[in-house]
Amino acid sequence: MDYKYIEQLLERYWACDTSVEEEQILRAFFRQKEIPAHLLPYKNLFAYEDAAQEVTLGKDFDERILSQVERHTVKVQRISLRRRMMPLFKAAAVVAVIVTLGTVTQRSFRANRQADYNYDAYKDTYTDPQSAYGTVSEALQIVSESFRKSQVHDSDSVSAPLKTTGQ
Amino acid sequence: MQKTDFRHDILPLKDKLFRLALRITLNRAEAEDVVQDTMIRVWDRRDDWHEMDSVEAYCLTVCRNLAIDRSQLKEAQNETLSEAEANQPDASDPYALCVRNEQMELIHRLINGLPEKQRSIIQLRDIEGKSYKEIADILRVSEEQVKVNLFRARQKIKQQYTEINDYGL
Repeated sequence: MDYKYIEQLLERYWACDTSVEEEQILRAFFRQKEIPAHLLPYKNLFAYEDAAQEVTLGKDFDERILSQVERHTVKVQRISLRRRMMPLFKAAAVVAVIVTLGTVTQRSFRANRQADYNYDAYKDTYTDPQSAYGTVSEALQIVSESFRKSQVHDSDSVSAPLKTTGQ
Repeated sequence: MQKTDFRHDILPLKDKLFRLALRITLNRAEAEDVVQDTMIRVWDRRDDWHEMDSVEAYCLTVCRNLAIDRSQLKEAQNETLSEAEANQPDASDPYALCVRNEQMELIHRLINGLPEKQRSIIQLRDIEGKSYKEIADILRVSEEQVKVNLFRARQKIKQQYTEINDYGL
């Protein structure tokens, strides 16, 4: 194998005429196992340079630095309007679900308790027609009384007293 | 220019900074402190990141300056080589882990025996693979200066290395 090129590179390396790339070539060359005897002495030089690149700091260094550096910083995060409103949306959704469920259950309970308007099933509560009539007319009178009162309140006109019905 | 993020753009530089600091201070604990100080200093100037051509170059510059300050401070404290230190110069050095044999250790010592500027340039060029221009930016000197210093550094290493290998000095 011809080592002219390497020798030439090496010469220029000592004269500091090599580029970074050419020095990479040299380094790669000396990384090989088989190196001719006359170049062998330089192997260690380049091997040392390779080895010196391996020197690193411990892992805990990062944490130490970050804890010192980020101590006084507040993390800024850009939040879109949508994301900012998200909790509100969630709350609204929860409320909507509760309301719907509540209405549905209420409705189903009411349905069970629907008023019965079957008049045939009614039974007489009074035996004497006269006392029944008296009670009914009394009740109607109470109704008409309050009806009249409310109408007077509504129209604010006392000048036209309404005729009470049902008497 | 893209937005610089500390976690993704600056923190990953830590190893590079560490290696440079280590090359200058020659002490692992010191180098670690230097990197930490560098990171904090860079963080404090986060408002200016977008104005910098290269945050990496800036980090390396800060790191180098801090490392030089520290090593000068240490020299001022006059910790000359005591008996114990002289006997085990690299015991606490992480390079010791990757220095696989005597030869490697020799090269390690040769490089670390160079003046600081040459040491930094060798580090940036031969280990980190930076271009002359980048190194000039980091060291705030001319490219010509970088080349001259690199030339001297490489020549010196080559010369000493071959001498020791040839004569077993």
